[in-house]
Amino acid sequence: MSTPTVAIIGSGPSGCYIAQALRREWQDAEITLIERLPVPYGLVRYGVAPDHPGTKAVTRQFERMFEREKIQFLGNVHIGTELPLADLRAAYDIVVVATGLYGDRKLGIPGDALNHIYGAGQITRFLNDHPDEEEFLPSFGTRPIIVGNGNVAVDVLRLLVKKGEEFDGSDLSHEALTHLVSSPIEHIDVVGRSPAALAKFDTVMIKELAKLANVRFEFNDELELESIDDPLAKAKVDALLALAKSGSEPDSIKRSVTFHFGWAPVRVAGIDHVAGLVLKDTQNPHRQQSIPATSIITAIGFEERPELDLCRTDLSRPDSDLPNGFLDDGLYCTGWFRRGPTGTIPDNRADAKHVADNIVQAVKAGSLALGKPGYSAIAKAIQSPTVCYEDWKRIDTAELKNAPVDRARRKFRNKVAMLGAAQSHQAGENNQ
Amino acid sequence: MNIHVLYGTETGNAEMVADDIVDALSGDVTIESTDMSKFSVADLSTEVFYFIVCSTYGDGELPHSAQPFFEALNSQQPDLSGLQFAVFGLGDSFYETFNRGSEIIAQALIELGAEQVGERGMHDASAGQLPGDIAMPWAKAVLSGL
Repeated sequence: MSTPTVAIIGSGPSGCYIAQALRREWQDAEITLIERLPVPYGLVRYGVAPDHPGTKAVTRQFERMFEREKIQFLGNVHIGTELPLADLRAAYDIVVVATGLYGDRKLGIPGDALNHIYGAGQITRFLNDHPDEEEFLPSFGTRPIIVGNGNVAVDVLRLLVKKGEEFDGSDLSHEALTHLVSSPIEHIDVVGRSPAALAKFDTVMIKELAKLANVRFEFNDELELESIDDPLAKAKVDALLALAKSGSEPDSIKRSVTFHFGWAPVRVAGIDHVAGLVLKDTQNPHRQQSIPATSIITAIGFEERPELDLCRTDLSRPDSDLPNGFLDDGLYCTGWFRRGPTGTIPDNRADAKHVADNIVQAVKAGSLALGKPGYSAIAKAIQSPTVCYEDWKRIDTAELKNAPVDRARRKFRNKVAMLGAAQSHQAGENNQ
Repeated sequence: MNIHVLYGTETGNAEMVADDIVDALSGDVTIESTDMSKFSVADLSTEVFYFIVCSTYGDGELPHSAQPFFEALNSQQPDLSGLQFAVFGLGDSFYETFNRGSEIIAQALIELGAEQVGERGMHDASAGQLPGDIAMPWAKAVLSGL
């Protein structure tokens, strides 16, 4: 039986994991991982917080996949603008969409279009030096509010309250740090609909907050422990209660954080820009409170951006089988793009394995016609300078070499610089 | 000698280490690797030497792929006298629960009578080294000590 040609769109964790899973099945198949940026790894590079290098180290696995398992990296190619999806599908037997969800979900309440409201995804990209955010300079003011109670909300909270020296060993850039430390943040309110015991963040994320110096944590309502039976929920609330006792000596405390559990946003107050947020008690909607704010960061999930990105509904047909990642003949999807913005890196590994199994079954059952040529059929159509894996390694090497002593990496902050580093060897070779 | 690498993984890093151990030792011994979630406790054999590779997840918990194996050990309580194994753990020293997963699984095997051989190998995700670079010499050292 001949093996298929496979193109995967998106080189984040989902795209890498499905490439890995398909390679295990087909040792000789041509597998191309296409990325719109010149650099791979998507949310591992640009979504995982810069102070979580251990989590980012999952890229070691993916490096190995490129280096030993002949997965082709094709960077700086945007499917949709640079190359139509239809052309890619005409060239490859199987196309897998693993582009995730780029857009930040909006609050959907009056006033949510005021200035100084930012999505957590954009903030995270900014703090990770994503080239899309090179010009973005959020104005947090003295009292930002974070809306959301997931791990993303806690990431943003931690990054906003950390002191400069607490970023040692991270890959936070001096541009991002300068912006953070120049932000005159005094107080942050964190608002979530669920009671504390049902909040979505992981306990370990709360325990990490307790290590921060110079931050005082408090709660809008008293947290109740007696009524919680579930041990995981109890551990979560215990970790929160321990937070209130953390922090260094009171006179050294510079910033404070208040958690509001069980409160939902009703309306953003302000003219032109944010002045406050009106909340209602989710158990008792007549009980409302208004908290002053200079900015709002929404961390309530991610969504498609119609017109801008590949969208799932546009690619589906009536008999699409989304639970198994099947969209159309030879067209599949995995990760957040398939099932929505829930789950972390391990969940996307499981998702990719599941969809890969389904693709393999379809090929074994003969329900997919094979024989499309793969990369050779699209190579000529791509006008932009492409980035292969060796090019990326040159970018990577330069970024590691450029790192200041207290940083793990110094990322290039725009595509021009990335492409320059990618091509640097060729200039050198020409000179010889 | 017959060697079996059993790995418990969440993101695939422990699987990568298991692959590395197989690569490093396959010239000298008969060796294979299996995800713990696909391995039956009843198949544990004193004729085989086991390398247990296990990560840590969440708040010091076992990774998902190790949980069914761990639960089966607890519920079936097999007599593992005479069984020999070595443990390699993955974790992140950034967290207090560093490498707790590998400790939990080793403890469970010891309580059932198995004998742990050699020092527990450990990788620290915050230390910047490749896990395989630590695991491979460790596995060779364990093997030469047998």
